[in-house]
Amino acid sequence: MRPIKLFPIVSALCALIYGGCAHAVPKELADARTAYREAAAGPAQRENPAQLHTAERALALAEASFRDEGDSVRTRDRAYVALRRSQRAEAEARQVEYERQLALLEQNVSQRQQAEMARLRGQYQATQQALSAEQQARMEAESRAQSTASELARVATVKQEARGMVITLSGQVLFPSGKAELLPSARASLDQVANALLHANPDATIVVEGHTDSRGSEALNLDLSTRRAQVVREYLTAHGVAPERVRAEGFGFSRPVADNKTVEGRANNRRVEIVVQPQDQGRPPAQGLGPHG
Amino acid sequence: MNRMFWTGAALLAVGCASYPAPTEQVASSMAATRAAEEAGALLVPDASLHLKMANEELAQAKQLMRRGDNRRAEGLATRAREDAELAVAVAHEQNTKGRLEALAQASTAGGEQTEPSPGTGQGMSPESSPPAAPTTP
Repeated sequence: MRPIKLFPIVSALCALIYGGCAHAVPKELADARTAYREAAAGPAQRENPAQLHTAERALALAEASFRDEGDSVRTRDRAYVALRRSQRAEAEARQVEYERQLALLEQNVSQRQQAEMARLRGQYQATQQALSAEQQARMEAESRAQSTASELARVATVKQEARGMVITLSGQVLFPSGKAELLPSARASLDQVANALLHANPDATIVVEGHTDSRGSEALNLDLSTRRAQVVREYLTAHGVAPERVRAEGFGFSRPVADNKTVEGRANNRRVEIVVQPQDQGRPPAQGLGPHG
Repeated sequence: MNRMFWTGAALLAVGCASYPAPTEQVASSMAATRAAEEAGALLVPDASLHLKMANEELAQAKQLMRRGDNRRAEGLATRAREDAELAVAVAHEQNTKGRLEALAQASTAGGEQTEPSPGTGQGMSPESSPPAAPTTP
């Protein structure tokens, strides 16, 4: 510390002593020397050697003037030029450094942006795929439900009532007169019913109701209708409908839907009704045949 | 009287002939100040200081030239050119620095969740940047 602080004092004393013969260094030249030293020690050496060399030559010219002419106007002008060239060499070197950092950062940013773009594109594509798969599944479910419903409509009457969806099958199609064994032709119809029930709301309970016309005794008809309902129930459970969901019940001729005095009326009364009841009473009964979920 | 006039005129002519008017230096300094203006030096404080100095030196050089002091006029025209050229360099430097800082700020603000890749994050904070060019005339 001390010698450095002493240096200007010592040099000032020397300047005073030898003032007569030695020229005082002009401010321009002193500044130019400092500026060149700083520039040569900084990034200019690496980044801008050409301009630093120009500064060095300008400083040499100024020093030569100072040696030959002392503190002349020319010495000061040349020193000024040297000072500015050193400063310029430094500024240009820093500029080169900033440009390099900027290029690196821009590359980094664009890489990050590209990665982000790729990520978003992937996300978008995944979402689109999921959406179209979902749409496809929904369309398939809808068309399945529709074809199920239309196939069912060909073999049975389907009505929506307060107690649920009621599928009515004519007794003549299912059973021979007075018997509780399925006719061969019944199986195709019941297959459609089973298929429809498999597509129906899985929470719904199913009641198979047997009904007869009013010919014969009440007890016989009740027994026949119960057995017929059970046969239908067994057929349905054998074809995939969960047994715990299906109940069979016989009603004999207690619930006619038509006049028992006419042939046609009696034919209509001989029937099996399959009632699909949504378990949740708040739910609209129309859900009976809708797609799952 | 007549003799004295001719002697004076001859002396002046000899003076002019001994040191030519620095018209070329003045022209090149004027071109350099225009270049500094085009580089945006007026908008960068450090650069605009040097541009101002260049313009003042140029005005002085022209005045000296009118008075016939060509030698000093040349020195000032040269100083003006050096200041104008420094103004260009400083304007470019500061503009690049500004772009770098703006991008560094935008990229850290926008991409905080992603780790910056190594080797690119150094020396970009305003604190670590070197000081602007000294402006001692």
